[in-house]
This record gives sequence, C-alpha cells and structure tokens, in this order.
Amino acid sequence: MSELPPKSSVKRWLVTTNHKDIGILYTVTALFFLVFGGILALLIRAQLWGDLGDGRLMSGLAYNEAVTAHGLVMVFWFLSPFAFAFANYLVPLQIGADDLAFPRLNALSFWLYAFSGVLLGISFFQGGTLDAGWTIYAPLNLPAYTPSIGSTTAILALFMFVVGVTASTMNFLVTIHHSRAEGMGLMDMPLFTWSILLTVWMMLFAFATLLAVGLILASDRIFGSLFFDATTEGGSLLWGHLFWFFGHPEVYIVFFPALGVMFEVFQSFSGRRIVGRKWVIAALILIAVQSFLVWMHHMFLTTINLEIKTLMMALTIGISLPFDLIVFALIYTLIKGRIRYTTPFLYSFGALFFIVVGGITGVFLGAIVLDYEFRGTYWVVAHFHYIMFGGATALFGGLYYWFPKMTGRMYNELWGKLQFAVFFVGFNLVYFSMFAAWETPRRVFEYVEAMTPIHRVGTVGAFILAFSFLMMFYIFAHALRHGEKVGDNPWDYTRTTEWAVPSPPPLENWEGRPSFEGGSLNFVSKATDGGHASAHDHEGHADHASIWPFAISVSMLVLLLGLSGLTVWNGREITGVSTGYAAVTAIGTVAFLGSMLQFGREGFSAPQPAVAERWPFEGMDKNKLGTWFFIASDIMVFGAFITAAIFIRFEAGWTTWQPVTDSIYGLVNTFILLTSSFAVVLALVYARRGSKKGTMAAIGATMFLGLSFMAVKAVEWHEKFFIDGVSWATNVQYTTYFMTTGLHALHVLLGLMIAAWLIFRTKEGAYMDDDRPIELFGIYWHFVDIVWVFLFPLFYLF
Amino acid sequence: MASVKKYAAIYVVLLVLAAGKFVFFELDQVFGYWDAFTGVMALAVAKTALIMWYYQHLNEEPRSITYLVLGSYFLVLLLAAAATFSITSGVY
Repeated sequence: MSELPPKSSVKRWLVTTNHKDIGILYTVTALFFLVFGGILALLIRAQLWGDLGDGRLMSGLAYNEAVTAHGLVMVFWFLSPFAFAFANYLVPLQIGADDLAFPRLNALSFWLYAFSGVLLGISFFQGGTLDAGWTIYAPLNLPAYTPSIGSTTAILALFMFVVGVTASTMNFLVTIHHSRAEGMGLMDMPLFTWSILLTVWMMLFAFATLLAVGLILASDRIFGSLFFDATTEGGSLLWGHLFWFFGHPEVYIVFFPALGVMFEVFQSFSGRRIVGRKWVIAALILIAVQSFLVWMHHMFLTTINLEIKTLMMALTIGISLPFDLIVFALIYTLIKGRIRYTTPFLYSFGALFFIVVGGITGVFLGAIVLDYEFRGTYWVVAHFHYIMFGGATALFGGLYYWFPKMTGRMYNELWGKLQFAVFFVGFNLVYFSMFAAWETPRRVFEYVEAMTPIHRVGTVGAFILAFSFLMMFYIFAHALRHGEKVGDNPWDYTRTTEWAVPSPPPLENWEGRPSFEGGSLNFVSKATDGGHASAHDHEGHADHASIWPFAISVSMLVLLLGLSGLTVWNGREITGVSTGYAAVTAIGTVAFLGSMLQFGREGFSAPQPAVAERWPFEGMDKNKLGTWFFIASDIMVFGAFITAAIFIRFEAGWTTWQPVTDSIYGLVNTFILLTSSFAVVLALVYARRGSKKGTMAAIGATMFLGLSFMAVKAVEWHEKFFIDGVSWATNVQYTTYFMTTGLHALHVLLGLMIAAWLIFRTKEGAYMDDDRPIELFGIYWHFVDIVWVFLFPLFYLF
Repeated sequence: MASVKKYAAIYVVLLVLAAGKFVFFELDQVFGYWDAFTGVMALAVAKTALIMWYYQHLNEEPRSITYLVLGSYFLVLLLAAAATFSITSGVY
C-alpha cells in the first residue's frame, strides 16, 4: 500500500506514515490523555476536599488507583508523547529532511503508544488497575500486594508503551544523525532539534532499562519469577536502582523538549538569538551525561550506605550548575531583546518562572538531611509538579506557537492571553498550596484538620486549571473553523526552516533539496534554501501509507490483554488458567505474528537522502546505523538483567551461591555459538563473492548451530524441571538463571527466524548484489554470542 | 573485510579463550576462586573485543560506533557496580 488517502478520510489517519500526520496524531492523542489524567487529578483533589457530608468521594483503594493512574498517564502517556508530537512534526522540517528515517516504524511507534493507552484504560475494568503509585515500588508491585488482573494489565501497558518509545528513539537518532540537509552541522541545528537529539540519546539508554524492568516485573507477575520477591530488602532495593536509573534521566527526557520549545519561542519573541548559544548546548550535553549519575538521590531513605548517598548528593548539586547557566541565558536573552508578549511567549515565560520555583525547591531534596524530612510529603509533590507541569507549560506555549504552521490558521491572540492568565492562576493555586501544606503525607488523603483550608484552595485551583484547558480547546476549535488563514510565517522574527515552507507544509516538505551550504541556519524569516532547490536527490519514490503498524499494535494489545489474565494468583501458587484469557492470548499471538510477517513482506520504500550531513556516522547506511542503535539499547536490556543477577547474589552473599547447573552445558553451548558466529561471517564472505550456494550453506550452518544451542538448552532445562524438580519460582537464584538465560534463548530464537527468512530470500536470488541484510543479521547474531560470553561464567562457572 | 584465513584464525583464538575460561575453574588447586573469577572476566573481555572488532567489523566502521557500544557497556558497568556498592556496609 503506498497511496495516501485525503485528510478528510478516516483511512488516511489509520495508514499514514508521514511525519506531519503522525505529529498531528500524537498531538490529539496526547491531549486526550491530558484530559484522562486531568479527570483523575480532579478526583484526587475532590477527595482532598475532605468529608463531603456522607464520607469521601472514593474508597481508599479507588483513591490509590486514581493516584497511580494519574501519575502513569501524565508522565508516560501525556508529557513525552506531547513533546514528541512536536518532534515528529518539526524535526524533519528543521533539519531539511523529507521525513523520519523509518516512516513505517514511526507509525508503529505511534500506534503502540495509542493502544498501550487503551490497554491501560481497560485495566480499570479488570478488578481495578494498579494501585502501587507511579513509581511502582517493590514489593507493592507484586501480585501478593496488588493482586488484580488489572494491575498486571497496567504493567503490560507500560511495557507496550516502552516498546513503541524504543522504536521511536532509534528512529529519531538515525534521522538526526543521518538526514541533516547539506551544510547543517550539528552545531547549526535549531535548539529545539538539539533538545530532541539529546532527549533521544538519554532515552536510548534509560528506556532500554525500563524495558528490562517491565520484562522482569511482567515475568514476576505472569510467570511467578522472584526478582522483586518481598522476603528480603534486596528485592525492593533492586527495583529502586533499576527504576531510578531510568527514572532520573526521565525527568530530563520530559523536560528537555520543553526547554527546546522555550529556546525557540524566546528567540522568536525577543527578536534575537539565544545568548551564549554554544554554552547552552554544552550545558545540555553535560546535563544529559550527569542525568545518569544521580539516580540514587531518589533513594536517600533506603538502606543504601552513606558513602554513596554523599556522592549522589554532591553530583546532584553538580547537575544544578549547567541548569543555572541555561536559566541565565534565557533571562539575558530577554534582557537583550525586544519582547513581544504573545501567548506562546507568555507560556514560555510562565514555564521559566515555574522551573525556577521547582528548581530551587528541588535543591532541598538533593541534600540528604533535608530529604529525610521532605521525602514522602507534599513538598515533593509540589516540586515535582512545578518541574514536570512547568515543562508542560512550555509545551502548551509550543502548541500556540506552531498551531498556525500545523493548521494554516491563526488563533485569537486576546483569548489566548486570557486563557494563559486563567491557567497561571489555577496552576499556582493548586501547586503552590502544596508547599504551604507540605507536611501532608504524600499519597494519603487524610491530613490534620488545620490543613483543610489550604487543601481546599488547592482543589479550587485545580478546577480553575481544568477550566483553562476547556478554554484552550475552545480557542483551538474556533481557530480551526474561523481562524484567519496564515502564510508561510505569521511571526515577525523566526530562525528555523519550518517557517520557510507553506502552512501546513506539503506532503514531502520541499519543492527541491534543501541545503544550508555556504550559509548557516541563522536566517531571518522567509529565507529560502539558497538556490540549491532542484529535483529530489533521492534513490527512489517514497511511500507514505501502510496498514501494518496499526494491525501490529492492535494485535499486540489483544496478545497482552490475554497474557494479563493467564495466571491466576493465590499468594505464590498458580491456581488456574482462565480459558477465556488463554483464547484471547492465542488470537492475539496469531494476529501479531501474521501482521509482523506482512509488515516484513510489504514493499515499502523510504529512500535515504543521497546528500546529507552525517557526522559522526559518515559513510553508514541508515539500516546499519539503526541496527547499532538497537544493539546499544539491547546491551542495556541485558545489562539490567545481569545487574539484577549480580545485585541479588551480592545481597545474598556472593560465595554462598554455587552454579545451579552443570558447567559442561554452558561450555558446549559456548563452542556452538562461537562456531555459529564464524558461520555467519562466512555467509557474508560468500554473499560478497556472489556465491548463492555458499551463502545458503553458511546461513544453513548458522541455523543448524542455533538449533543445536536450543537443543542443549532444552536438555539442560528438562533436567532442571523434571529431574531436579526446580523452576524459576523455586528461589531467587533459579529466577535469575532461568529468566536471564531464557531471555538470551529468545534472542537466539528470533535470530533463527531471521536466518530462515534470509535462506528463503537467498534462494530467491536476493543478497548477491546487496549483502547488507546479511551483514545486519551478522551484527545481531554476534551480539547474541557476546551476551553468552558473559552469561556462561555468571551462571555456569562462578 | 578480512580474508577467510584471518576469520578462521580469530575463530580458533576464540575457542581457545572459551576453553581457558572453563579451565580456570577446573584447576581449583592452582587458582583460588577470585583468581579464577578475575581470569575468566579478563578472557571474557578479550573475547568480546575480538568478536566486536573483527566479526562485527567495528574496525571498518566510524569510530563513533565503537564509542556508542562502549558507552552502553560503561553504563551497564556503572549500574551494576554502583548498585552493588550501595549495599556494602560502608565505613560509616
């Protein structure tokens, strides 16, 4: 399928792979989840009003569910996707690309995101959704404490969301590093694109860890493994480490795009370039690196030792320094410029105010002794919202700023300003009141009576805030129908390329090839492409439509929904399997595999630009670059599993454990995998020589060896299950052994499926002129071998 | 791309290194537990380097790909080491 139906057709929105369409879909969906999370917030605030005469609005359990779902929805399903709505729409335009590097993958990311949200919604109707808080701490995340099927569904929804995010991360990394128009060096990129680039770099490592965390937790809940087992403190500390290794960078992942919007808006409405631009970029890079060095400041109240707490405190203070530089650069830009108080500017300026308040109050939490006092109180809630919703404030400004570009219509400026005023008042009433009532325990709706007036002010503020969003939706709806039509650029001063094309931009963005050669990105208003526009210098015609991303996502929803109810828990015993859920799982599995196969078979062309800036990955094919990003991400996934195994063993006493199985199995499989790696190399050699027979024989040998590996694994596991009578649910040592080697075996299985496909295609005559797919398979297969290099000693020798 | 001979030679070295890991723990009269542990980890790192450099052809890619992969390994090491250190008894 390659023809794209018109925008008036529903089908268009189901099949489109165009980055601007996907950007619109993200915008609408993220705003839907804002409303979803917002309604939950209003329920929370209503509960905090106090006794309504005949008791509280919700039961304790329902309140916990509302708090948990509110946090999850806002952090995962609203904030980041809202930012990536702009990233989807604007990054290709800002760097002079036609689309993202992998448009179908981009559509898949969106639909996985959208349907993961549907799955989360379904979880409310499966005996209640998760009620463990958005941080999902162990042991609350285990079935013993959150036994509903809906809790498992919520975890699986998060997992599905993260799969989509991971795909999106690799897509943006390849796009920005591979498709920048001629003459656009990294330092020339607009600051919004810079913020997205650094965001996806952080996401590459952080979300891969969350993916592993999701897998581990799903394994605990569905298969009964014991990673986060509550019998020792190790389980909850392990969760803390893995979650916050993701969770702290996540703060910046959410926040950087907001900063990017602020940079663009401040420039446009102060009429000058950001002061200290290079230093701002350096500060952003430094923060991105530092974000992975401070995660344990979220664990000051746990039993981790004082040395590491002190180190984390020092590093946390360190991370505030580059932030200070950025804040001063923003302020000084305004001082040096001539400000025009439009709605986008007001939002961005408001965001700056919120960030300063949130930042200062966050410094308190970075100090160990103060954190002992503040942690677990409304101080954290207030600080957190000033930062996170402060970031969202900038994004709302971005929506006003780019609305004319996305729709070709202008909103009513006066109404926009009025709406901002209501928003600003509501925001501060609800969140600043939390500082006033900071001694209120977090996640608890009962508080001392003296706090009642303050909490009621907060509740009134929440409803004012909600009303401001109704105003915003009305303003945009009105503008869509009656707004004044705009040309390429409705603003007086802009610095980025999206304003040099019509509003909204045409399907393929450009009449010719954009180039920044001989100039720089720093053009004013309607600068053109410098006269280089000519025919597209691409390798072929681009497709824009595919139904398979949608189909894969729907079938994955069905599959995960089925999985959620497969295991019925009674403490630690599996007491039965629901045939209904088993049937849903079977249907979902068949549909998922079928749609994946169709995705692979579909002829879909997304040509890479022949001329582009690619530093620091010059000379690489985009598929190979994507493969390497995938490998980097997969290293983190396995790394989290291996960390879990090491951490749990260390906590138990390293030398008190002996290998749980005969080392000869591991050694034999080591030789098998090494030989299979050699066979893959030979396949590439034969393909380059144009030998069809040799290539098929070498890939066939790889398959045979891979199957041999699986056979040895089967014998080994059979011995464990049926002779020794143990499984992953026996104890935590067996959990780490079975689940980590099991994940590796799944990778081998996936490799075997790819190898089978390669043999089939080689037989058809493929790869003799273009051996790149074999090379990419080799990179993957060797990685699987490398993982085994470490699993062998960890589980068979040590 | 290297010659088949070179790939075969690397394969033989990898087999020897793999066997070496096993031998460290078989010769427990010669090597103590932590000596064997250290030796095995050293061999694992050497094997990984060989596979990455020659079989995954990092030697032919832009150096930034090597840094990308090393960055991932470093973060895993950081996570595992810092998390594990955090539950040691400490001085205080």
